[in-house]
Amino acid sequence: MSATNPRRTARRNVTRRDFLKRAGWTGAGMTALLVGADRGRASAQTAAAYPDWIPASPKPPKRGGVLTRASAWDPPVIDPRLTQSIGLFQFAGLTSSRLVRYAFPDEASATNDLTLKGDLAESWQSSPDYRTWTFKLRQGVKWHNVAPLNGRELTAADVKYCFEAYGKEGVQSFTFREIEGMETPDKHTLRVHLHTPNVLFPQNVAESVTVIFSREVLEEDGDLKKRMIGTGPYVLKEHTRKVRVVLQRNPDYYDKGRPYVDECVILSTPDAATRLAAFRTGQSDILQVSSLSEVEVARKTNPAAIVQEYKNVLAPFGLALAQDKPPFNDLRVRRAISMAIDRQKQVETVFEGHGIPGWGVPYVYYQEKMPTMAQLGPWWQYRPADAKKLLAEAGHGNGFETTLFYYEYFPQMTSQVQLVQQDLKKNLNINIKITKLDYTTYYGRYVDSKWDGMSWGFQSGHAVGLDERTYQYMHSKSTKNFFRVNDPVIDDLTTKLRQTPDRADQRAITKKIVDREFDQVLRMWMPYDAGFFLYQPHLRNMAALALRRTDGYGSPTTARLWLDK
Amino acid sequence: MHKYVIRRLLLAIPVLLLSSLIVFGLMRVMPGDALIALMGESGNVGQKELAKLRKDLGLDRPYHEQYLLWLWQMVSFNPGDSIFTNEPVSLRKAIPVTLELATLAMVIGLVIAVPVGVLSATRQDKPSDYVGRIVAVSGLSIPDFWLGTLVITFSAIWVHWIPPIGYVSFWDSPWRNLQQFLLPAAVLGYRLAAATMRMTRSTVLETLREDYVRTAWAKGLAGRIVVYKHALKNALIPVVTIIGGQLGTLLAGTFVVEQIFALPGMGRLTVEAILYRDYPVVQTNVMLVAATLVTLNLIVDLTYAWLDPRIRYQ
Repeated sequence: MSATNPRRTARRNVTRRDFLKRAGWTGAGMTALLVGADRGRASAQTAAAYPDWIPASPKPPKRGGVLTRASAWDPPVIDPRLTQSIGLFQFAGLTSSRLVRYAFPDEASATNDLTLKGDLAESWQSSPDYRTWTFKLRQGVKWHNVAPLNGRELTAADVKYCFEAYGKEGVQSFTFREIEGMETPDKHTLRVHLHTPNVLFPQNVAESVTVIFSREVLEEDGDLKKRMIGTGPYVLKEHTRKVRVVLQRNPDYYDKGRPYVDECVILSTPDAATRLAAFRTGQSDILQVSSLSEVEVARKTNPAAIVQEYKNVLAPFGLALAQDKPPFNDLRVRRAISMAIDRQKQVETVFEGHGIPGWGVPYVYYQEKMPTMAQLGPWWQYRPADAKKLLAEAGHGNGFETTLFYYEYFPQMTSQVQLVQQDLKKNLNINIKITKLDYTTYYGRYVDSKWDGMSWGFQSGHAVGLDERTYQYMHSKSTKNFFRVNDPVIDDLTTKLRQTPDRADQRAITKKIVDREFDQVLRMWMPYDAGFFLYQPHLRNMAALALRRTDGYGSPTTARLWLDK
Repeated sequence: MHKYVIRRLLLAIPVLLLSSLIVFGLMRVMPGDALIALMGESGNVGQKELAKLRKDLGLDRPYHEQYLLWLWQMVSFNPGDSIFTNEPVSLRKAIPVTLELATLAMVIGLVIAVPVGVLSATRQDKPSDYVGRIVAVSGLSIPDFWLGTLVITFSAIWVHWIPPIGYVSFWDSPWRNLQQFLLPAAVLGYRLAAATMRMTRSTVLETLREDYVRTAWAKGLAGRIVVYKHALKNALIPVVTIIGGQLGTLLAGTFVVEQIFALPGMGRLTVEAILYRDYPVVQTNVMLVAATLVTLNLIVDLTYAWLDPRIRYQ
């Protein structure tokens, strides 16, 4: 080892020539990197489209194996009365059953199939006035063979107790307070009396969050925070917060022979890059990504992966205005703002050409095909000149100042918010001060409904049913009316919809609700893209259905999934 | 010495009290509360019910009452219950994870930093010195979250392997546990190594120019003896100082690295608790980190005397 020469310890000066030379090389390197990155993006945009529906496998299902999924979500608490978090319902739907459910992938004709099937209920029917619903329960359904239930038979009294508990307190209370009373004429019959007629009530009890929990656990523990015992296809074997959820096949499940997979493991993986790496290395069987370019990146290492384009049937996010206060209580202002926003630009840039321009009620409830931009009506087209004129008519020719707060649900959302800010400044001289908040702050302020200006609003992710997407989110008296809609026409139509049994009539009324919403710009939906699913090639019957993602609120569909290994 | 330690321990009390006030105040200043976070997107809960739930959880009591109650719980080693799980705040599971991660990172960091720093100094302006300096500057410049993401992404692409997800304790499966910790510890250790490496290089360079080192050379001692026996020990005092200073950065780094590598340590626990406004958990975690840093700083200060007998504590 040589000793140090003190003369060499003198600091070396960097000459101007050295500096320029180094800066030149650095610049060239950065340019090369950026060009490379840009090329990758351009090629991703031209990638081939993927199917939005994967039909059920024609092969006979195989039993066994372990399904593993790296998941972004953790349940804040496992008591279904206290939260509707996706973190909980990604597995609560597997441990617990509901009265009624939607079709599973191997029963559905396509991703949009919203046919109701019996889960705990074998059949159900209403009284002529739609105020009383009678559910006939399956016989021989057993609770998990775990203390204190020890596999005893489920009865109508269990369901009655559960619905009453939901109605008493917690986040489900709005749905269950619709119930005036219940009776159990026999062990397997539940009769539900509603305060007002509702033809859509079975849809409400088919929602993924209305799982049936056990009376014994609630009575023994005082809450449902520690144990989850149900009648579903899987038994909760382990729940270690922020580590894993392990579900073991329920051998006593009422649907004999199912589920096919022996064990489901959900690994808590908050980082998106880690989830991708887990899929690449086979540690995770399912991956959800937001964009086409991400699909291509994943397929470079996993070319055999099966890709499903997730069907966008609604946009869960939009620009919410304080429409009960000036200036947004002026219809002309709302229409002008809507026309000044270039939604197509958002679709093309933020969502790489793959998103939808945005609407709030799932289109499958009122028309066959996805609405075109033109079908959204005149106020949803990008017409900056007309917007400026209309805003001037409303007395705001020089624009105005306002605020907008949001929580970044996904990375692209910040770009969307900024594009709206730019559009409104450029086209209407509306200056928006944006505040990005953490989830709890955002949520607390948003649902309080006392804010001024604008917010990036949302509607819940779990709901499939039409009642939830119309009456519960738009009726002026509903506690879920976050967009502060207060329109007598909407109130009438949503109430009437609840009393209309005929499917064709329901579609006609829903269309009227949607048209009214668009015309009055009651909720200003923004472009959205739910992205893509990648599955390991050995997965069968795993397709995600519209509004029911296999990895989220649609987790019960896992009961029909099998591994072809 | 004993007086010095006692004085430092007494000084720690106002530091910890101030920390407790800051964390308590910050959590209360943040808008929203645990109930708002818990309700998620349901929007179904009326104000009356929320008020009842707040009362049940004691969140409606005046702030000074809440603070004093918590302070009492802390000094009686019973930090209260988590708002979400209703279970006593327990760091029993999280502490070993963070401790293991930080210890491994420290070991990796020092194993790299000291030899490379010495090598860099003794071979100043030679290729090995340039490599060492590039490695050090990169370590200081690259943020943990980016390095962690790169490491996990490229391991998956190049070697088709990433640490197994789903924490397993060392006692349950030592091999699987080490697989889970090696990469995250390397990511954290790299940053620690970078700062230590630069300091080692500078101080060794400076020491090598001291008269007594020149005398050692003049006596004809072997290079190894001059560097390791005479120069290095004296050069290590500032290095120890910087390691002490890096401990805070190391703990902060665990917050990010635990997220990326899905390790259920204190960092992840705290981040989640902050997002959900689980006051008892956040407050307890922060106080534990504050107490740890105070203790470690004291240990670092006491180490000086061991390294340099000329130092006396008054």
